[in-house]
Amino acid sequence: MPTPEEFRALLEDDFGVSEWSEKQPPLIEAVDHHRLAEVLKERGYTLYVFVVASHRPGVEGAEDALTAAGYIELATGLRSPTENSQLAIWRVRVGLDEQLATLVDLFAGADWQEREQFDLVGVRFAGHPDPRRLMLPEDWEGHPLRRDYAINTPHPPWR
Amino acid sequence: MSASSAARPSSAAPASAARLGVDPHRDLSDYDPEADLMVLNMGPQHPSTHGVFRLKLHLDGETIVRAVPYVGYLHRGVEKLLEELTFVQATPIVDKNDYVSPMTNEQAINMAFEALLGIEVPRRARYMRTLFAEMQRIASHLLWLSTFGIDMGGALGGGTTLFMHCFREREWILDLFELVTGARFHYNTHTIGGNRHDIPAGWAKQVHTTLDLIASRIDEYLELSTTNSIFVARTRGVGILPKELALELGITGPILRASGVDHDLRRDAPFHAYDEIEVKVQTEPDGDCLSRALVRVREMKESIRLSKLLVDGIPEGPICGARPIKNPTQFKAKEGQAYVALETPRGELGTYVIGGGKNKAASPYRLKIRPPSLHALSALPYLLPGHSISDTVVILGSLDPIMGEADR
Amino acid sequence: MIPPIVLHGLIYGGVAAIALLTLTAWGIWFERKFAGRMQSRLGPTMVGWAGLLQPLADVLKLLQKEDLVPAQADRTLYLLSPPLTVFFTLATVAVIPFGVDVAVANLPIGVPWILAFSGLMVFPVWTAGWASANKYALLGAMRAVAQGISYEIPMLLTALVPVIFAGSMNVNEIVRWQAEHHWIALWPPGPGLFAFVIFFLSCLAEANRIPFDIPEAESELVAGVTTEYSGMRFGLFYLAEYLHTLVASAVASALFFGGWNGIFGLPDGIHWMLAKTLTLFFLITWIRWSLLRFRADQLMRICWTYLVPASLALVMISALWVHYAPQLGPMWGG
Repeated sequence: MPTPEEFRALLEDDFGVSEWSEKQPPLIEAVDHHRLAEVLKERGYTLYVFVVASHRPGVEGAEDALTAAGYIELATGLRSPTENSQLAIWRVRVGLDEQLATLVDLFAGADWQEREQFDLVGVRFAGHPDPRRLMLPEDWEGHPLRRDYAINTPHPPWR
Repeated sequence: MSASSAARPSSAAPASAARLGVDPHRDLSDYDPEADLMVLNMGPQHPSTHGVFRLKLHLDGETIVRAVPYVGYLHRGVEKLLEELTFVQATPIVDKNDYVSPMTNEQAINMAFEALLGIEVPRRARYMRTLFAEMQRIASHLLWLSTFGIDMGGALGGGTTLFMHCFREREWILDLFELVTGARFHYNTHTIGGNRHDIPAGWAKQVHTTLDLIASRIDEYLELSTTNSIFVARTRGVGILPKELALELGITGPILRASGVDHDLRRDAPFHAYDEIEVKVQTEPDGDCLSRALVRVREMKESIRLSKLLVDGIPEGPICGARPIKNPTQFKAKEGQAYVALETPRGELGTYVIGGGKNKAASPYRLKIRPPSLHALSALPYLLPGHSISDTVVILGSLDPIMGEADR
Repeated sequence: MIPPIVLHGLIYGGVAAIALLTLTAWGIWFERKFAGRMQSRLGPTMVGWAGLLQPLADVLKLLQKEDLVPAQADRTLYLLSPPLTVFFTLATVAVIPFGVDVAVANLPIGVPWILAFSGLMVFPVWTAGWASANKYALLGAMRAVAQGISYEIPMLLTALVPVIFAGSMNVNEIVRWQAEHHWIALWPPGPGLFAFVIFFLSCLAEANRIPFDIPEAESELVAGVTTEYSGMRFGLFYLAEYLHTLVASAVASALFFGGWNGIFGLPDGIHWMLAKTLTLFFLITWIRWSLLRFRADQLMRICWTYLVPASLALVMISALWVHYAPQLGPMWGG
């Protein structure tokens, strides 16, 4: 995955990222999530592109507490809408019971996108102004894109 | 590692509301009690919600004071479904997402898989994909113009005349696609590593004939629409989307360009054959419905130019860079993540794919489609307040949403 | 024993109503066919030769449909409104002279009669919208009332122009005056023609035709006042709309184009009235299938800032002309 030079320098200097992979976006601490978005917005990454959450179920006997209990990995993408467009993507890991800071105060588009990820994957955003489901009915039980949600789970018909 | 909400301000909503001028979550309890607000449910069954989309409008007379959009009526769980299918099986499914431009949907998912699996696409296939995408853009924008006409002119009036004429031209492009793929609409012509069907003999000449004809017709439609005084009266200054808000909302494509942002992935982050041809990006400064219409109509003309260029420039060579598909679990990716975006008629259609899923890593672990239509629809709470019901359908139409794509 | 005047009214009225309803049915066929040709498709083809029996099939289909009344609706008003729209439209037909001195009622107050019943059209539309207990219908009805009342004014004022020239409110007398002198739309240059244009636009608005079909506006208000109506009650609204269009064409040709008066000295008669009416009807259809629609507030602005002052000016000019033109000599005098 190509990473813009300045984005890389920023992460290494200010956010303590040392591991780099060609195949995966950089991983940062969850507490830095909001701060990184803020810094990037100031540096011209003003186009809100996407947020994608994926559920990783707990692995028995794993050394890392987060891996053992299961977590949600969240990737966020911002773009600089210029002639030579650059895309900045980073990942954070959030425990299943924990909350992640919302980006709605920086990017209005995060409102619906975070609602969708909450709806489908079940990641909770702290301080979200409108934390409702987006796609599924409000009385839906569970989050379908979690690993433990079988595709043939019975559900009540649409009212 | 721990996550907390410590690093952010405690109340996000008022801050963003002050920044953007309109509060999408406006509390109406302090609204003038004399005003006698009326709540109007527009949709999910309504003639001009472009599918099953619901808008809850709080009306003061006929003026909207708050608009709450509800999506999800067409949610089919495509992302969950794609986790169950293998990479090979997944590619035809996404045709049905944006049913107005299936070609670009196929390209998006195949490009994402190619990036994840590390497969090179031959130059001929790249050219063909670019050509199909440009022709699809003409077809998609023609459909947009036709339905936009209906939004303003009614199903029983001048709007239908525009609709029928645009549909005729769009059908010609679908005919050309049919000659290549055998299907009018859900083509399944892109495969991982290239294309499935080669173009038949004499096809290039037919493309030229058809596009010349469409080019002459587009000027006619300009007279019916964008130079028509009623059209201008209905669209100028209506639904102004400021540049900053458009960027924050993640709005891309013609809507962003109509708001004055000179950004087009075809030029700024070239994919396929776009690095070999020069794309003239169309922009308009005002951000109203008229600008969005003008940008789309000009893009049609530009696409005709590009298509002619591309159809002449298709190089010889193989059309698929991967081994022919023998079984559905042929391609495997144990790990890795990829995000690939391309410029569809509606904007940036991204596909985020994580490898290492079911079927012994032959399926994606998680696949997220970034729908440009959903981002466009999220602008409605900001655009609608202050306008009337008549403007609602015009604004909604100018955003060109496809609910199949927005809801997935 | 039935008094002769009642008998006269029944016979002439019945004939006129049936003839006009039939004409309306073929008018709908013509419009559909014309729209089809305009949109590079065929229009009705299956029922009868070239689909000529399509209106009949439509009526039969509508009659078979279930007559639904919403649970929350005001039943009396809801059921009464559709027949009333047709009734008020048909009532205007009474004073229109179809042939030489052929009218159901040769009333001395013909022009006010037409305007009065045309103005009454607002009531059934409003009650239909109110009684439907549907928000779209209510909004459509409110728009219809606003539009109907606003466009009534330029319509009324421009209808005064022929009255001023002919010196009579009897429509037949106005046509007779035109037959003896000249068509009002053609001479004197200016007031007559402009009055016709404004009258025509107001008729479009009154009959809810594009570009002024705001009360229906099916892309915004689903179907406006007719949203909740089904079957033949919807059919009656539909019929009233076309009837209104046809009647407006007839009134405009009687007031401004000399009604039954033939051109180039050809014999007068009902065929001229029919030809002029259908020409105007064709014009309305043509406009409908070419243009987009205005927004409600733009419609009001057009009416109050352009049409009302212009029609007031036209009335003044006409009055001055009638007063002073005879002094300029026989060539100018009316």
